[in-house]
Amino acid sequence: MFVGFGPVLSSVVAAAEPVIPDYGAQSSSCVVHNHFFCADWVSHNWGPVLWPALRGHILLALVAVGIGFVISLALALTAHRYGWLERPTIVVTTILYTIPSLALFELLVAPVGPNVYSAEIALVSYTLLILFRNILTGLRGVPSEVLEAAEGMGMSRKQALTRVELPLALPAIVAGLRIAVVTIIALATIVYTIYNAGLGVPIHTALGEGPFKTELIAAGGLAILLALTADALLVLLQRLLTPWTRARAT
Amino acid sequence: MHEFLEAFRFIAHNGAIAGEPGLPTLTHLALETLKVAAIGLGISIAIAVPLGVWLGHLHRGSFAAINLGNIGRALPSLAVLAIGDAFLGLGLTVVELALVVLAVPPIVTNAYLGVDGVDRDLVDAARGMGMSGSEIVTRVELPLAVAPLFAGIRTAAVFVVSTTTIASLAGFSGSLGDVIANETSYHFSGVLGAAICVAALALAVEGVLTLLQRALTPRGLRLVEPEPARVPPAEAALA
Amino acid sequence: MRGTKSGRFRTLVASGSAALAVVAGLTACGSSSSSSTSSSSSSSSSATTGAAAPTASGPGVGKPAVTIGDKNFSEENILGALYAQALQAKGYKVTLKDNVGSSEIIYKALTSGQIDMYPEYTGVLLSAVAGQKKNPSSAGAAAQEAKAFVEKQGLTLLGYTPFYDSNALATLPAYARQHGLARIPDLKPLGKGVKLGGPPEFATRFEGLPGLVQEYGVKPTFVPIAIELSYKALESGQVNVQNVFSTDGQLLSGKFKILEDPKHVFGFQNVAPVVKKSVLAAEGAAFEDTLNRVTSTLTIRAIQQMNAAVSIDKQSATSVAQQFLKANGLG
Repeated sequence: MFVGFGPVLSSVVAAAEPVIPDYGAQSSSCVVHNHFFCADWVSHNWGPVLWPALRGHILLALVAVGIGFVISLALALTAHRYGWLERPTIVVTTILYTIPSLALFELLVAPVGPNVYSAEIALVSYTLLILFRNILTGLRGVPSEVLEAAEGMGMSRKQALTRVELPLALPAIVAGLRIAVVTIIALATIVYTIYNAGLGVPIHTALGEGPFKTELIAAGGLAILLALTADALLVLLQRLLTPWTRARAT
Repeated sequence: MHEFLEAFRFIAHNGAIAGEPGLPTLTHLALETLKVAAIGLGISIAIAVPLGVWLGHLHRGSFAAINLGNIGRALPSLAVLAIGDAFLGLGLTVVELALVVLAVPPIVTNAYLGVDGVDRDLVDAARGMGMSGSEIVTRVELPLAVAPLFAGIRTAAVFVVSTTTIASLAGFSGSLGDVIANETSYHFSGVLGAAICVAALALAVEGVLTLLQRALTPRGLRLVEPEPARVPPAEAALA
Repeated sequence: MRGTKSGRFRTLVASGSAALAVVAGLTACGSSSSSSTSSSSSSSSSATTGAAAPTASGPGVGKPAVTIGDKNFSEENILGALYAQALQAKGYKVTLKDNVGSSEIIYKALTSGQIDMYPEYTGVLLSAVAGQKKNPSSAGAAAQEAKAFVEKQGLTLLGYTPFYDSNALATLPAYARQHGLARIPDLKPLGKGVKLGGPPEFATRFEGLPGLVQEYGVKPTFVPIAIELSYKALESGQVNVQNVFSTDGQLLSGKFKILEDPKHVFGFQNVAPVVKKSVLAAEGAAFEDTLNRVTSTLTIRAIQQMNAAVSIDKQSATSVAQQFLKANGLG
């Protein structure tokens, strides 16, 4: 049947009824009856559905925290030098942090588009307040006597920074990283509304199907486990790098 | 760009769309959002503040209090709502339950740290003056802990507004999130307009709470910016 | 003392790099497993191809690569997979981008060049994208108006499917027999005694309750029910009549009866591929022909069966599409 750019657009009428294959009942009765958790579905769909979502989620979070850290470090170092910058930076980053994630994603889609850039810009924004404040606090927490000693030893400003201040600020920096990573992992579940990545995707699919309990619990559970694991790993890192903070101040 | 213009036009029309007479107005949705959020926040404060203050006063349970904050942060709102949906279906009760689960941890942690961090000398002095435990809490520790306490409440308030809008993604109806989740009816201009409203709402809530904090901070403390180096770095970021 | 402060800093950098290396390794391992289906993809490459690789021969060989998008719900995932695999079977190089977003977002992706085509519903095109509010009088008219609209933007609409996925009202056969119901206007004498369920937006949109009230004079009691709970609510008796979609897989079970909508309040929602004109020209006549052939096979029963396999039996859209195309000599 000719269907082209002509004035009359018609339905492409089936010459005969199509062959409808028997798709079979591939899923267990556990799945079909939507019981709480069907391990067989999880093992069957780990490769095609859950692992790609988890992988994408990790990538989103790592990139966001990585970029956020670099920006926050630069901002904090600048504010450390020019103290008047602290207040405006806090104000701007607080505003960004306060905008609810769903809203921020949509606001970015208009200029930037529904792609990974909007997602990452939003996620990075959420890390800035946390990381900036913590890095700055850490830098400020270096006792002045230590800095004077460094100066006395003949260190340049830059050497003092890299050899004394930043290492001493590590506890605060790592604490901030910990909070940022966990926060971003939680927020990345919403990315699916503008870009097809992250654990929010299977959560969304599951919500539209009943809800499909197994997928919901699997994907939601993975997101929570990921955040808790990241938190635990960073606590370990914190302890490894700064054993002196383990003793609790009385 | 013209999409933002369209969005502001949508807001100016209070969310009305030509040819769809039955749609709820933006004002109505905003008020509904505030209502749901207020209930959730109220319940959370009622549970979390006494708990955190009490633990902080006794200087007990720091591990639990601080890690509760971490765990609370790790819970993605959508996952909590979705799991609640799977087990209990989605209605106002389940949404409020999710809000409480998400809002209690930061409030407890910050209430604990605020009260726990009050200068021990002051507390000892108060005890020496003959004040009872509850008097110490209400007249010494709480006023001095206003800043971190309110920081926790402000964090929780933003979480709660944010989660209320996310609830619409899970199928709950009755907040500005309905517009964002329903682009077919409202078009992108509507979604963008609602997003702007949500952002404004969250900022307004934060602003109101900041003013409240200032009003409740004892006059003496208002003159002094708290020294950031004093508070242990890990916990400072929770403020 | 175990190490100098700068030594610890170096440790931080080293362990950070090690952690990144571990993640990179995991990522490499994970990507070797099967290609993802309709659900997700990593953030760096958002392309997923159907399970079938392009064949080495056919009219598509040598033609420029094409990107197909689909929206983020299962029926669209099925349609995307169908078109992508059918083209690949003819040797075309196709990239399928799943879950691009909702109607306006995917339309923007098309006009901005991120994708070259996607399957769209004629009614949605008219109301969501074109912003028209007038109801067309027939499926053909709807498609015609949609085509006229997209052609102003360098796009075109190909032939449309026999099936339409509009809102519909379903009820239990027993209830229908009891009250002599065959069409929606038959609900009028029952007045408030009818409990009509639907998602909250059904109560406010013209293609919903207000339209039914206006056109048929029915005045039921509205019960808000989330979409995914539709059939449960109907079976449990929580509602007598429920808003469903005409292509739902559950309708195959015979347990539900659809009430006719003689005045087409619910509009026309046949599916047709929206394609960029330039892409159509570059890909040749066989491209359009293949797409039309697939479109012609999509009767309401066919799509209902596919929806059932995906939603109820939880099969992947990719595999369901593959089975259908193979059975019809198109895959």
